[in-house]
Amino acid sequence: MELTILHLYPDMMNLYGEYANVAVLRRRLEALGVAAAAEEVPCGGRPDLSGADLIYMGAGTERKQKYALEALCPWREDLRAAVDRGAVLLFTGSAMEVLGTSVTDASGRVWPGLGLADFTTVETEKRTPVDVVATPTLWEAPAVGFMNKCSLTHGVATPLFSALSLGFGNEADHGAEGYVSGNVFATHLTGPVLVKNPDFGDLLLRRLFAQKGWDLPETLPELPHQRAAYAVTLEELQKRSGG
Amino acid sequence: MRLFFAIIVCKLLRLIGKLVGKGSSLPGKYALKLCPDALGRVKLPEYIIAVTGSNGKTSTVEMIAAILRRAGKTVVYNQEGSNQIEGVTTLILCNSTLGGKMRGDVLLLESDERYARLSFRFFHPTHFVITNLYRDQLTRNGHPEWVYNAIAPAIHPDTTLVLNADDPLVSCFARDHGRVKWFGLEKCSISTADHRGMYHDGARCPVCGGKMDYDYYHYEHIGAYTCPDCGHRRRTPDFAVTDLDLAAGRLTIDGETEIALAFRSIYNVYNILAAWSVCSLAGVEKGLMASVINNYILKNGRMVQFTLGGRRGTLLTSKHENSVAYDTNLAYIRAAGTPCAVLVIVDAISRKYFTGETSWLWDIDFNQLNCQSVRQVVLCGKYVNDLALRFDFTDIPPEKIARFDTVAQAAEALRDSGEEELYVVTCFSDRDKLLSLVQLDQ
Repeated sequence: MELTILHLYPDMMNLYGEYANVAVLRRRLEALGVAAAAEEVPCGGRPDLSGADLIYMGAGTERKQKYALEALCPWREDLRAAVDRGAVLLFTGSAMEVLGTSVTDASGRVWPGLGLADFTTVETEKRTPVDVVATPTLWEAPAVGFMNKCSLTHGVATPLFSALSLGFGNEADHGAEGYVSGNVFATHLTGPVLVKNPDFGDLLLRRLFAQKGWDLPETLPELPHQRAAYAVTLEELQKRSGG
Repeated sequence: MRLFFAIIVCKLLRLIGKLVGKGSSLPGKYALKLCPDALGRVKLPEYIIAVTGSNGKTSTVEMIAAILRRAGKTVVYNQEGSNQIEGVTTLILCNSTLGGKMRGDVLLLESDERYARLSFRFFHPTHFVITNLYRDQLTRNGHPEWVYNAIAPAIHPDTTLVLNADDPLVSCFARDHGRVKWFGLEKCSISTADHRGMYHDGARCPVCGGKMDYDYYHYEHIGAYTCPDCGHRRRTPDFAVTDLDLAAGRLTIDGETEIALAFRSIYNVYNILAAWSVCSLAGVEKGLMASVINNYILKNGRMVQFTLGGRRGTLLTSKHENSVAYDTNLAYIRAAGTPCAVLVIVDAISRKYFTGETSWLWDIDFNQLNCQSVRQVVLCGKYVNDLALRFDFTDIPPEKIARFDTVAQAAEALRDSGEEELYVVTCFSDRDKLLSLVQLDQ
C-alpha cells in the first residue's frame, strides 16, 4: 500500500514546527503497513497535485501567507480537481484563510482567495495568541492546541469545532472554529496539530483509507507517548478553561 | 512643576519599594500619571544607547556597561531588566536631579522589543543596537515579522542604528534610514555551505518574498545572503569578527584585536561584537575595550556550575519557546566533546504566564545530541511525554533516552549513576527546580 503526502510551501508556511504533522502522519501510516511518500513543494511554479492523497499547508506570517496565496492562486483548478477526486486537504493556522474567497489585509487591500470554501477573512490590528480547547464536530475527545491569529473569518457554515471552551473562534471568543467540508479540513490551530491531537490523526487516517478503498483495522496503532502528552495538556488547559 | 513632583514621587516610591522588596516599575507608573511626558522633559545625557532583539540583550548590555565604566563614564542602566516604559521611567527619574537633569554620561537601556515604541515616544536613543530577530516566545510575541513591525515605529531618523548585518530581517531596518553602522561575522571556521536547523527563516527574502541565496551560513539563517530578485543582501560590516576559532575560544576583531572567549558559544561572539561596535562609536579606545572583554565572564548567571553526586554539572540557560537558544546550547554541548549526560527539563513553559504550547520543541534540532560524547539523554518535567515523542523523531538510539515525571526523580537517578559530566538545558522557569537539589560552585 502506498500513498503520497504533499507538503505545500514549507519554505513559506512553517512557522510553528508544522512539518511534524507530516512526520507523525507518515509514521502512523507506516505502522499500518502503508509506505507514505512525503514531498515538500517549495513556493513557486506549478505544483503537481495530480497524484496527491493528502495535501497539507501550515501557518505563515501575514506577509508570507500573501506570497503563498499569490503563488497558489493560478493553480486553484488543480487544487479543486484534487478535492473533487477525494484527496484529503489539511490547512492549518493562517493557511486556513487562503481557502476562502478573500483575505482583506490590515491596510484594507483585498486578496482574492482560492475559493474552495465560501468564507471571507479580515485581518485585524490586534493579535490573539491563545491556548485552545475545542469541541470537535467529527470526533469525541476535545481538541487542544494553540492559535496565534490576527483575523476574523466570516461565513463558515460547517465549522470543524462547534465551540471553544478556551480560545478565539472564527469570529468570536469561544465561538465555532475552523472549517470542514467532505475531506477538506481547516483550522486556525497552529503547529503540530496532529501531534497534539491523536484523534484528529485517527480521523484523517480513516478518510485516507476510505479514499484508497483499503480496509482499516478497528483499533489504530498509536505512537508511544502521544496520548499521555495529550492527556497532560488537556488537563492543564482545562484547569484554565474551567472545564 | 509637574516634572518636579513626578521625580520626587518616583524617588520616594522607589525608596519604599526597595525597603519592602517590590519591583521597579510601580514608581515609574505613578510618575507617568503625574507627568505623562516626563521622559520628554528630563534633560538626558549625550549618549543614549538602547539594545533590543530576540536574544543576547542582557549579556550585550552588561558588557557595554563594563566597557564604558572602565572608560571612566558614569553609566545608568536598567540592570534589573525592567525594560518596559514604566521601568525605564523609574530608572531615569530616580537618577535625575530635582531640577530635571539626569545624572551620568550614558543612559543604557535594554529595551523590550515589543514596547520600544512606547519607551521612545518622548526621547530617542542616539545609538540603537538590534541584535537579531528569531522565533521567540511566539505565544506572546506573534512572530519575528510582527516584532519587526513593532520595533520599526520606535526608530527616530536621528538615531544611529547598529545592526547585525548577518540577520536578513534585522538588516531591513536600514531601508530608508540614513545613519546605519553594521556589525558581522566574516566567513570562518564555523561557516557552512548548507543550512542547519529544523526550519529556515531566511529561505525567503523578507523584503520581496523571493528565494534567497546564501554564500554561507554561520548558524540557522544567520550568514551571507543575497536576494537575486530585489537585491536585499548582507552589507559589509563596519565592525567585523574577521577570524573565529570557537574550539580554541578565540576571535579576532577587524583583523587586529584578538579576544579570548570565556564562554565558547556563537552567542557570545555576536554579543561581544555588538558591545564592541557601539562602544567604539561612543569613542572608547580599542585597547581598553579589548582589556575589558578579553575572557569576560558574564555576571548574569545564564551559565551555572555545580556538583551532583559524583558528577560535575553545567546548566546552560535556554529560553523555552526559543529554539535558537536551545540550538546554540546543544551545539555547545556537542562541540565540547566530553563524555556526558544531558538533562532536558520542560515543566513550566513560562514563569510569567501560563501556556501549554509545545510546538517549539519541534523547531529545536535535538538531533545534535546524536553524537558519541553524549552517553545519555534524560528528559523530565510535566511535558516529559511531549519531549519523549519529539525525541522519537531524532536519530538518538532509544536506549540512550530515559524519562522521569519530576525533576527530583531525574536528579536522583543522575546522582546515583555514573560520573560523566552533566549538562542541563532548560529555562529560567524550570532551572531552580534542579539548582535547589545540587551543590552550587561558589
